Amino acid sequence: MFYSQNNVNEARRNIFLLVIFTLFVILGARLYQLQIVQHSRFAGIAEANRIRVVSQQAPRGIIYDRNGNIIAENKSQYNVDIIPFEVGKDKTAYTTLSEILNVSEKEIQRRVKKNWRGQFLPVRIMEDIDFQTLAELEERRLELPGVLYSLEPIRSFPTHANLSHVLGYVREVNVKNLQTIKDYGYRSGDLIGWKGVEREYESVLRGKRGFSYIQVNVFGQEVGTIQDKRSVVPEFGNDLYLTIDLGLQQYAEEILGGNKGAIVIMDATNGEILSLVSKPDYSPNLFSGIVKSEIWDTLRTDPDRPLYNRVTQGIYPPGSTFKLIAAIAALENNIIDPKMKIRCRGSFKLGRRTFKCWKLTGHGKMDLHDALVNSCNVYFYNLIRKMDIDLWAEYAKKFRFGEISGIDLYVESPGAVPDKALLDKKYGVGGWAEGNKLNLVIGQGDLIVTPIQMARFSAALATNGKLCAPHLGLKYFNREKNQFYQFNPVKSDSITDISESTWEFISEAMFEVVNSQTGTGRAAQVKGLDVYGKTGTSQNPHGDSHSWFIGFSKDNQQVTAMAVLVEHGGSGGGEAARIASKLFKYCSENLNRQRFVSTKVNDIEAK
Amino acid sequence: MFLTVFLLCMAGLVALYSASIHVDAPFFKKVVGKQLIWILFGILSSLILVFTQKKILFNGAYIFYWFGIVLILSPFFIGSSMAGTHRWLVLGPFHFQPSEFMKIFVILGVARYLSKNDLVISSFRSLIMPLLLVLLPLAIVLRQPDLGTSMIYILLVFPMLIWAGARAYHLFIIIAPVISILTAFNFYTFFIWVVFVLIVLYLSNEKIWLAIVLFVLNLSLGFLTPVLWNRLKPYQQNRILTLFNVEADPQGSGYQVIQSQIAIGSGGIFGKGLGNGTQTHLKFLPEQHNDFIFSVVGEEYGFIGVAAVLILFFLLTVLLINTAFRLRDRFSSLVVIGVASVLFFHVVINVAMTIGLMPVTGLPLPFLSYGGSFIILCFILIGVVWNLSMERSR
Repeated sequence: MFYSQNNVNEARRNIFLLVIFTLFVILGARLYQLQIVQHSRFAGIAEANRIRVVSQQAPRGIIYDRNGNIIAENKSQYNVDIIPFEVGKDKTAYTTLSEILNVSEKEIQRRVKKNWRGQFLPVRIMEDIDFQTLAELEERRLELPGVLYSLEPIRSFPTHANLSHVLGYVREVNVKNLQTIKDYGYRSGDLIGWKGVEREYESVLRGKRGFSYIQVNVFGQEVGTIQDKRSVVPEFGNDLYLTIDLGLQQYAEEILGGNKGAIVIMDATNGEILSLVSKPDYSPNLFSGIVKSEIWDTLRTDPDRPLYNRVTQGIYPPGSTFKLIAAIAALENNIIDPKMKIRCRGSFKLGRRTFKCWKLTGHGKMDLHDALVNSCNVYFYNLIRKMDIDLWAEYAKKFRFGEISGIDLYVESPGAVPDKALLDKKYGVGGWAEGNKLNLVIGQGDLIVTPIQMARFSAALATNGKLCAPHLGLKYFNREKNQFYQFNPVKSDSITDISESTWEFISEAMFEVVNSQTGTGRAAQVKGLDVYGKTGTSQNPHGDSHSWFIGFSKDNQQVTAMAVLVEHGGSGGGEAARIASKLFKYCSENLNRQRFVSTKVNDIEAK
Repeated sequence: MFLTVFLLCMAGLVALYSASIHVDAPFFKKVVGKQLIWILFGILSSLILVFTQKKILFNGAYIFYWFGIVLILSPFFIGSSMAGTHRWLVLGPFHFQPSEFMKIFVILGVARYLSKNDLVISSFRSLIMPLLLVLLPLAIVLRQPDLGTSMIYILLVFPMLIWAGARAYHLFIIIAPVISILTAFNFYTFFIWVVFVLIVLYLSNEKIWLAIVLFVLNLSLGFLTPVLWNRLKPYQQNRILTLFNVEADPQGSGYQVIQSQIAIGSGGIFGKGLGNGTQTHLKFLPEQHNDFIFSVVGEEYGFIGVAAVLILFFLLTVLLINTAFRLRDRFSSLVVIGVASVLFFHVVINVAMTIGLMPVTGLPLPFLSYGGSFIILCFILIGVVWNLSMERSR
């Protein structure tokens, strides 16, 4: 034998076996640890690896007007998504897509790049395609692997009224706001009411998102659904009924036309807003889904500020309408004998300054009633000279000027009622004088109000001091319980310390403003209807004066209060009163308001 | 032995079948079909080896060895570099990895040397030649670069040396400098290591001057390494790091190992069943045909499945060791030990990698992992053992 002998002894073999055995035991122990001790943990991770939760947006509740006409509902929007990996496989796919969608290939590529989430994840390339495009896509499906379309509920507005400032809009929750509302279950990309009633009644209108589970592979590619996890169908939000009368709203928007301005019409007895117009406005359809940035920019940079709600945010001097405040204060405190006549020669001298009446030839001799009807400035200059500024301000504040009305529309300006303290602060003690008072009494100077405050003012005048908080939310329909619910009754208040005779006096004067031959509000007359009102002209540094009309009509049990503002509409007797007349007429002919009686009062916190 | 190999191959085929269950291709185009063909090739080559005379294996050992060296050098010259590596040799439709076949040539070469009649194995000098026989292919394969395979070369030689009767102290002296370099980057590990070296040297009854030389050598290596390392330019450092990291972690932060552990852990006791492994089918598990085939078994057949596979490997190794023990001539015995080492280290390193006990080195699992060259090598190894074990027992 040429081979050398194997001289291994048993001990050496046993060492080998021992080492081998030990290493296998270590491997086995580790496997035991992984597969048996830590099994549930790893099983969980493996599940999380493969399951992707796809959430589906829920449709928001429908918004109706007070009579059950639909203001805002939902429609389905078809969006086109592509999976870049699949589409990229076929060179002609992009060309075909560009033909069908009528968008250049380059633009498609740009959108793909912009929304890129990974080559196996769907990328949105087009939103809201029409039905014909959808049909075409479906037809050529075989040529277009990896092209998907998804369905998303968006708002649709079947009415001709814009109602833009009432409705507001929804927008996508972004990362920044998510911090504050995460607790309510919002996620990035959800739609949330951002302005208007969409915001105020978010908790009513918001639906419950649905979920489905899909299985994905390591690339995020979808590979079938998951059988053992039930998907959740999205739930509709609850339906909201507004106090708005859609017909009246549409008419009011039409009448204000191309003017800039505001109209508020409300039920004076309970604060229900029948119509709220702020112009210029915009079509709510621009905000039906996710707003495109071009539209945003146009709206935001428009010098006429269509996004700005003039009813609640617009601040204007009230003009002569505010003479009513001075009149009430004077009557209540016996500062002047209402029968006493003062001669108006068209101007009033205070020291070296001359304050003019609007009628330069002068009104002649006038008592308080005439002065209101004819809106004589000189009379009120004399009146305010006898009155303390704080007394005047006290009466303005009784009617809740200088504070927000509490209307259920987000962002409201409080305006300002100057009193001694405020004037001292602004001009310094002694920095202001009687001249300021003269301006304030005719509703100019540092006095500023909003149209919604003016509407409430006229409602208070109509009801002898009832102060209802103006509101838009009427009731809502809970889909789950199949029942109507009313919102918490809005707090109403009353002015109790003004005597009956004063109310009567004011009421008579306002009637005459509209119905007498010389009344400044003659244009607001409606045949066969008792219309009361007061005009106002507020001078402003930007051009023609703004035209105001506030007033109310009494028609059987219906008391309708109104405030109309036309920016640069000239003197109050003109534009605003004419508009008011048409609206009063419409109201008396068409509105037969039914009072809503709640089946159950539920204390929902609307917000 | 044949039964265990057969069962392991079956386990591998089932796992590969499962891993390719959703691939829409004819059977023989699928991984599992191709693997079956490779196995048949493997059986064929092992049969050829069974009928090769043992004399040829013994006498030709060095010739085979040099033939192997030429083979592993050839990818550097016959241009077929794939992604900057030189591992593959292309012969018509086949790509094969000569470094895999080099394993058997190294075994034969080392066994041949260690079975020289006049070899005094207890002398340190007789260890130098086997080490050189290993270091040459190791250096070449490291340049390919393929850390895993080159590691196997060095690993397989130690059991052979021990089996042949080399003194543990000599092996310690060989390994010590490497450990000195590796531990040098951390003060505490290096300190412990130095103390350990001191104790070993003290116990070894080594001539005092030699002991001092050895100690100073290790100590200075340890001190010099960080200094030299810091002197290297960053790109040079990187080049060395890539050498040791070539297969590791393409996606960063242990992704592969984590997914593999999830796959195995989620398998539980009984596994998710054939074709139900989500980690496997949804491709969270990387390299599932090759290096991580064990994780597929773990996910779909659970603890029962992997325990069965490990027991089979254990049995195979024990059988090989016993065969080596039984054989009468030293050459055969050493070759069998070499074969056992190759298979054993592949199994341990591969499995330890899939369960997160070792870094990713890219060593396949014998008989289970997909890969032509490697599966054929495994069968060649078995064929050689089969051949040698046919001699009458002592």
